[in-house]
Amino acid sequence: MKKVTYFPGCSAHGTSEEFDQTVKMVMKTLDVEMEEIPDWNCCGATSAHTMNESLAYALPLRNLVLAEKLSNDTMTVPCASCYQRMKFTKIHMDENPELARKINTAVVGEGQYQGRVAVKSMLQYCYEDVGIEAIKTKVTSPISGMKIACYYGCLLTRPKAITQFDSPEYPMSMDRIVEALGAKAMPFDFKTECCGASFSISDTDVVLQLSGKILEMAKESGAHAIVVACPLCQSNLDMRQPDIEKKFKVRYDLPIFYLTQLMAMAFGYPKDKMMFSKHIVPVDGALAHIGEVIEEPKKPAKGKKAVKAESEVE
Amino acid sequence: MITLSYKGKNTFLEAVNEKSGSDVLECYQCGKCVSTCPVSNFMDFPPREIMQMIKLELKEECQMANSTWFCLTCSACSGRCPREINIPAVMEAVRHMAIEENFHPDSKQVKNIRKFHEIFLDMIRRYGRNYELRMMAEFNIRTRNLFKDMHLAPKALLKGKIPLGVKSMKSAKAMKKMYEMADKLEQQSK
Amino acid sequence: MARVGVFVCFCGANIADFVDVPTVVEEAKKIREVKFAVDYKYMCSDPGQQMIRDAIVQYRLTSIVVAACSPRMHEKTFRKALSDAGMNPYLLEVANIREHSSWVHQKDKKAATDKAGDLVRMAVAKSIANEQLHEISVPVTKRALVIGGGIAGIQAALDIADARIPVTLVERSPSIGGRMAQLDETFPTLDCSQCILTPKMVDVASHPFIELIPYSEVIELDGYVGNYKAKIRKKASYVNFKSCTGCGACWQKCPVKVPNEYNMGIDTRKAIYTPFPQAVPNKPVIDAKHCTMLLKGKCGICAKFCEKGAIDFKMTDEVIEREIGAVVVATGYDLWDATPYEEYGVGRYKDIINSLEFERMVSANGPTGGLPVRPSDGKVPKTVVFIKCVGSRDKAKGIEFCSKICCMYTAKHAILLHHKVHDSRAYIFYMDIRAAGKGYEEFVNRAQVETGAVYLRGRVSKIYQKGEKLMVRGEDGQLGQEVEVEADLVVLATAIIPDKENPALARLLGISYDKYGYLSEAHPKLRPVETAKAGIFLAGCTQAPKDIPETVAQASACAAKVCGLFAGDTIKKDPMVSTVNKDFCSGCQNCVKVCPYQAIVTEDIPLGHGAKEMRTVAKINEGVCQGCGSCVAICRSMAINLAGFTDPQIINEIVAI
Repeated sequence: MKKVTYFPGCSAHGTSEEFDQTVKMVMKTLDVEMEEIPDWNCCGATSAHTMNESLAYALPLRNLVLAEKLSNDTMTVPCASCYQRMKFTKIHMDENPELARKINTAVVGEGQYQGRVAVKSMLQYCYEDVGIEAIKTKVTSPISGMKIACYYGCLLTRPKAITQFDSPEYPMSMDRIVEALGAKAMPFDFKTECCGASFSISDTDVVLQLSGKILEMAKESGAHAIVVACPLCQSNLDMRQPDIEKKFKVRYDLPIFYLTQLMAMAFGYPKDKMMFSKHIVPVDGALAHIGEVIEEPKKPAKGKKAVKAESEVE
Repeated sequence: MITLSYKGKNTFLEAVNEKSGSDVLECYQCGKCVSTCPVSNFMDFPPREIMQMIKLELKEECQMANSTWFCLTCSACSGRCPREINIPAVMEAVRHMAIEENFHPDSKQVKNIRKFHEIFLDMIRRYGRNYELRMMAEFNIRTRNLFKDMHLAPKALLKGKIPLGVKSMKSAKAMKKMYEMADKLEQQSK
Repeated sequence: MARVGVFVCFCGANIADFVDVPTVVEEAKKIREVKFAVDYKYMCSDPGQQMIRDAIVQYRLTSIVVAACSPRMHEKTFRKALSDAGMNPYLLEVANIREHSSWVHQKDKKAATDKAGDLVRMAVAKSIANEQLHEISVPVTKRALVIGGGIAGIQAALDIADARIPVTLVERSPSIGGRMAQLDETFPTLDCSQCILTPKMVDVASHPFIELIPYSEVIELDGYVGNYKAKIRKKASYVNFKSCTGCGACWQKCPVKVPNEYNMGIDTRKAIYTPFPQAVPNKPVIDAKHCTMLLKGKCGICAKFCEKGAIDFKMTDEVIEREIGAVVVATGYDLWDATPYEEYGVGRYKDIINSLEFERMVSANGPTGGLPVRPSDGKVPKTVVFIKCVGSRDKAKGIEFCSKICCMYTAKHAILLHHKVHDSRAYIFYMDIRAAGKGYEEFVNRAQVETGAVYLRGRVSKIYQKGEKLMVRGEDGQLGQEVEVEADLVVLATAIIPDKENPALARLLGISYDKYGYLSEAHPKLRPVETAKAGIFLAGCTQAPKDIPETVAQASACAAKVCGLFAGDTIKKDPMVSTVNKDFCSGCQNCVKVCPYQAIVTEDIPLGHGAKEMRTVAKINEGVCQGCGSCVAICRSMAINLAGFTDPQIINEIVAI
C-alpha cells in the first residue's frame, strides 16, 4: 500500500471536479492512499508569478511546508499548472537557501521549509511510482477500439530542468498509459503545443487560435478523442470548442477526457460515475468505438529505404 | 531611426541578466524562439527582438511593449534555444521591472491581462483559493464587457461545470499576512 | 670560478611596464658570480643576440642567463647565440620574467620587480651547475605510415612516395576513397568528385613506393620519432586477392542483404561485396558479421560460382609489423546523429534525410538513379527544404563549433537539385552564410541566382506532418514573419564530427584529443599539422572540420614535414633526458612502471666489482626518453637525474632564494 500527499488545487472543487474525483478512484484501485494537505492554499498559478515574484514563491512554499508536516516523502499534484509552480518553487528554494529563508518569512506561523518532500505531477506519479505493469494488472474493461490523441500541454514535461520527466518535445508517458488501458495512442505532432492557458478569460482569441490548431491536428491524426492531464487544457479544448468551431467554421466533435477518467473506466468504474455530464462536448460518440477492431494502416508504397539485414545474428 | 553611442554601462542589460540568471549577450538572433513561441504573432515584438532591444538598451520600448505580457512561460522557447538562454526568465525580468517602475502599456489587451491577474490574486487574498465564478464576473465588469462568455453560462452552470460558490481556506487570514510580507520583500529587493 | 652573464630584456612594454628592468640589472650585478649584466629593449633581436655573443668572448663567460619571455619562445634563439660564440648551448638558463612576473602581477610593480630579481637569482645559481650537453643522434627508419585512405591520406601518401620514401597506407574499409568517393560534385567548381579522385586512387595502387593495406587497422604503435614499430591487423577478407579477378560473379549470387554503408543505408549490398564500382582495390571482401557461411556454416554459393577458386572461408585475421619513422593520421569525419533534435521528428519521419544521403541520391552511381526521392513513397520531391546548422553552433544540444562546410555544400545541393529536378525549388533555412574560400562567395551567389533557391534567415523550430507533406516551421528574420514551408523532402546539414574511433586511436598513438574527439595539433596557429608527439602528424578532418582544398593542403604539409624529418640519416634529439646512476639504483623498478613512454627497461649487472652474483638495475633508453621527469620524482634512491634539471641545479635554485 503506497501513501502519497495530495494537493488538489483550486479547480478540483470547481471546473475540474471530474479530474479530482477520478484521480481518487484511480488511486484507490491502484492501492495508493492519498493524504490531502490540510487547509492548502492556491498555488498562485500564472497570476502570481506574472505580477509579484515574492508572492509567486510564497504561495507554493506554504503548501510545501504544510506537506512536510505529513509523513509522506512524495506529493502528487494533478493540475499541471499547480505542479509546475510547486516544483519550480521547490527547486529554487533547494538551490538557494538564502532565498528560501527570505520567502519563508512570508509563510507565517507554519514553520521552516526543509525540502523533504518530492513533487510529482499526477501523470509522473502514475508512470514512475505506480508503473505501467501495475496499471495493466488493474485493467478489467479495456477501452480497446478508441483512437486517442494524447495532449500533454506545456507544463507536464517542460522545462526539462524543472520537470526532469519525459521528453519536452515528444513525450510518451501518457501514450503508454493509454495503450496499457487498451486504446490506441495516435501519433500526434501537437502534443506539447500550448493551448493558450490563462488567456482563456483575459484574451480569448489567443485560446481560440492555439487550441483550434491543436484540435485540427488531433482530428487529422485520426483520433476519436483527446486525453489530457491538465484542467486548463481540458477547459480550453472542451469548453471553448464550440466557439472555435464557430469562428473557424469547422466541426471537430472531439471530446476531451481526463486521463484518470479513462483509467477509471478501464479499471471498471461505471460510466455514470465519470461526471461526463460536466463536459461541454458530448463523449458518447467517442466511447461508442470501444469494442471495435482497429485496422492496421495499409503499408505505404515501398520507397528506397534500408532493409534489415536478413542473416544478422541478434 | 535609432541613434546609438556609448553612454556608459548598459545597466538595463545587467539588471535583466541578474534578475533572470541568464546572459542576453549570448543571443545570436537565430529566431528559433520566434517560430516556437505560440503567441509571438500577438506580440508587438517577438522574443528575438526583445533580446536585441535589451542589447541596444531600449528600455522604455521593451517595457511599453505588450510582449512580456503575452509570454505564458510555456518554456517551449528555452527548451530549443541553442544558446541555452532562459527566455521566459528574461521576459519575466523585463515585466517585473516594468511593474516596479509603473510602466503601463496603452493597449487594451494588456490592460485586460493585468486586470485578470489582479482579480485572480485578489480572490486568493480573500479566500485562499480561486473563486472562479466571481473572478469571471468581476473581470467582465471591470473590462466593461458584461456579456463576455455569457453564451457559455447556461450550459456551464447547469452542468455544474462552474460552481456557484467557493470552498475557501479556513485560515484565510494567513493569506492577508502573506500578501503583506510579499509586498515588503518586493520593496526590499528594489 | 663561475663567470655568469645576465641579460635582462624590456620586451618592449611587455616586461618593462610592470617590472623595473634597470633595478633587476643592478640586483644581478650584486651577485658574486655575475661578471656582466646589461638590459636591452629586445634581446631576441639581432643586436640583442650580438650583445650575448660579444659578451661571451669579451668577459670570458662560463654560463648565460637571459631574463625575458618564456623559454618556449626564444630558448632556441639564445642557445644558437651561445653556440655561435663557441659556447655549449646548454649553458644557457632562461628566467621567465614575463609570463611568470610582469604578466601575472600587474597590480604591484614593486612585488613584480622583486620577483623578477628572485627569478634571475635562481637562474644564475642554476646555470652555475649546468653541464655541457650534446644533442643525441638517433637513427631514422625511412618509411611513413599513413592511417586512413580518404583524400587526406591519399594525398599525403602520394606526396611522400613521390619523394621516393616508402609509405604504408592503412585503410579500415575495403577500399580507399573515403567521403570524397561518396560525393557527387564538389564545390566551387562542380567537378565530378569521382572523376578527380579516382586517378589519385589508381596512382596510390600503382605507385612503386606505396604499400596499400586495405581492410586493416593499426592496433599498436611503439617507439619514438624515427623509430616506431607498428602492428597492423589485416582483417580476413576471405578472398584471395591474388587469384581474384574482380569479375563479380560472387556478389551477384550472394543471397544476403545488408544495409549499404556507402549509400548511407538507403539500399543494400551483399555480404560479399566491393563498396562501390570504382573501388581500389577492386576486389570483394566478405563481411563476417553477415555471411551465412561464416555464421552458420550454410550457403557458400559465392565459392561455388568463383571460377578462380579465390574464396577461402578458412582465412583468418593476420597481424603484420612494420618499422616506421613517422605517422600521418588521416581518419576523416562522420556525420552527427541528429536524434536529439526531437522537435524535428528525426527518426519519426521517413522524409527527413541528412546531407550525405541526399548526396548519394543525386549521384549518378547512387541508389535512386541520380534523382532525389522521398523515402516514404519513392516520389521525386518538388519542394525541398534544406536546414543548415543542425547540431552545429548549438551549445544546448552539444556541438558548439561551426562545421565549416555545410554552407557551401548546401548551396551546391541547391544547384544539384535544380539540375536533377528542374521543376523544383529549394528553401534554405540558415543563420549565416560562411563562404570564405576562393570562389566561394561567387558560388553561393550563383546558387541563388541560377536556381531561385529561397534563403530564409532563421533556425527551424519544428517539423510536423500534415497529410503527405512535412510542415517546416521557422521565422524569416528578414521579413520578421513566421513561415511554414510545405516540404516534400527535408535535408538536414548535420554537424560533422570526428570518426568515433579517434579517442581510442589517440590513446593507442599516445597523442591527445579534444572533447569532441578531434585530434590535437601542437599549436593551433603555427603548428597545425604536428602533434605534441614528435613524428606524428595530422591531416584532414581528423583534426578539425575543413573542406577538400584545405585537407589536400594539410596533407601535403604533413608530407613536407615527413620529408624534412627523413632528410638526414639521423634525427637530432634534445639531450635533456634522464640517466640512472647504477651505484645508487636499488632495482625497485618504480621508474619502469611510471614512465609514460616505456623508455626504461632493466638490466642485470654484477653485484660488485668482479662478483659473480647479479643485481637488477634500471636502464633508460635515451632515444625514447622525452625528459618528463616522472622517473626522477619517483626514484626513492635519488639515483636518477634529468640532464638540464639535475639535483645540484635544482638545489642551487632553492638555496639562491
